[in-house]
Amino acid sequence: MNAHPHRLSCCRLGAGALACLAIALFQAGCLTTTVSKTPGCCAHGVPSDGPVSDRSLFQLESSWTNDAGNTLKLGALGGRPLVVTMFFAKCEYACPVLVHDMKKVQAALPENVRSRVGFVLVTFDTERDTPAALAEYRKIHELPANWSLLRGAPDDVLELAALLGVKFRKDARGQFAHSNILTVLNAGGEVAHQQIGLNQAPDETVKQLVQLLRP
Amino acid sequence: MKRQAAIPLSLALFVSTAISFAIHAQERPVGTPPAGMTLLPAGRYTPLFRAENDPKDIPVQSFWLDVLPVTNGEFLEFVRTHSKWRRSQVKQLFAEVDYLKRWAGDLEPGTNAPFNAPVTHVSWFAAKAYCAWQGKRLPTTAEWEYAAAASPTRADGANDPEFVRQVQNWYATPTPEILPPVGRGRTNVFGVHDLHGLVWEWVADFNTAMVTGDARGDTGLDRQLFCGSGSEGAKDRSNFPAFMRYGFRSSLKASYTVHNLGFRGAQDVEPNKP
Repeated sequence: MNAHPHRLSCCRLGAGALACLAIALFQAGCLTTTVSKTPGCCAHGVPSDGPVSDRSLFQLESSWTNDAGNTLKLGALGGRPLVVTMFFAKCEYACPVLVHDMKKVQAALPENVRSRVGFVLVTFDTERDTPAALAEYRKIHELPANWSLLRGAPDDVLELAALLGVKFRKDARGQFAHSNILTVLNAGGEVAHQQIGLNQAPDETVKQLVQLLRP
Repeated sequence: MKRQAAIPLSLALFVSTAISFAIHAQERPVGTPPAGMTLLPAGRYTPLFRAENDPKDIPVQSFWLDVLPVTNGEFLEFVRTHSKWRRSQVKQLFAEVDYLKRWAGDLEPGTNAPFNAPVTHVSWFAAKAYCAWQGKRLPTTAEWEYAAAASPTRADGANDPEFVRQVQNWYATPTPEILPPVGRGRTNVFGVHDLHGLVWEWVADFNTAMVTGDARGDTGLDRQLFCGSGSEGAKDRSNFPAFMRYGFRSSLKASYTVHNLGFRGAQDVEPNKP
């Protein structure tokens, strides 16, 4: 397997793929479709209390189960910035790196704010990643208490992935091909920043988190 | 790492002759089809791209599919009873600002969006919500492509030169400002209208259209495919429309709304009907 960090995301996919598609369309002569959109992926500002905004992922009604077997809505994790990543426990290649990247972010945070950021791993593997499997994952990877591991119904996973700009597909071996994206949500559940690809330096993500934590 | 650059439409179908179709037709479950839907017999779909260890094609279970795309008139009924999907009330997370752009008002499609024309400028979330309201769901990519591979006379439309020509012609024709009514042309052999020739359609798993990362060795593929020359590398140029759909889907985000992107509903065949 080669080790290309895959660079797909909200912003980049938007610009890149659309540009590419536009070229393809152009080359095809006069085709029916042009998609010109500005992906509004990265909101700023820190709504905290009060009703969730129009752009908040906390509007989602879907229920998730954590590795302790408790059911919760995404909004229950709010009130503090979150770093959200989609993964699956049996992943042999990208996910350990993604989790490592998240740990790098956590380690690079100033010590006094470190515990005020939540880290969330949501699995693609709705079948195999039971709460017990996720609990095992937490143990193996020594994930602290401010990390949440979630599984949901396949449709809800698809919806969350769509919202985060994550593409994924299950292959015949039960492995998932997927985009590698860390998403920072502000305390109100809006996408504030995305870190795209594997083995990225944590600096920009940390900067964003620190900004979100400013009173 | 070798990948099969696909043979999509041409081999997309398991049901390849009228005879085998007739055999499948005998397996149709007893019972009336849901209103406005038709039964698609079980078949096979050959994805355009697949991971190294994936099978060449994947089985598609028998399913119900809307004969027609959802129209403005039908969508109006939905927003009447579901105010949160009205243009003025929809949340930004679920539909961007162009949502239902052609409509004259919240509850008034108006002259630019005739009642019997397909509803467009709807996001994936809105399409999904409409289908759920109907007790339906969006078709999967496999289901949609399988249905769309059929010509008016045969399930394997790729072997119908006239059909291939017509589909390609549509892809080369600009979308009119005001969309024509649904259900004008011939149905395909399964009895489905307008899979080609009117609008593009949302599928449930549009965000699986780009295979990425670890299960695929070469992350440059998409770039080559879409920034390169479309179907240049494919064995069968007649599947160019499938490439276009693939590229289009992979460029979408769930909140996007586009002038020539609509949808239709699908439904599982109830398990108690054999």
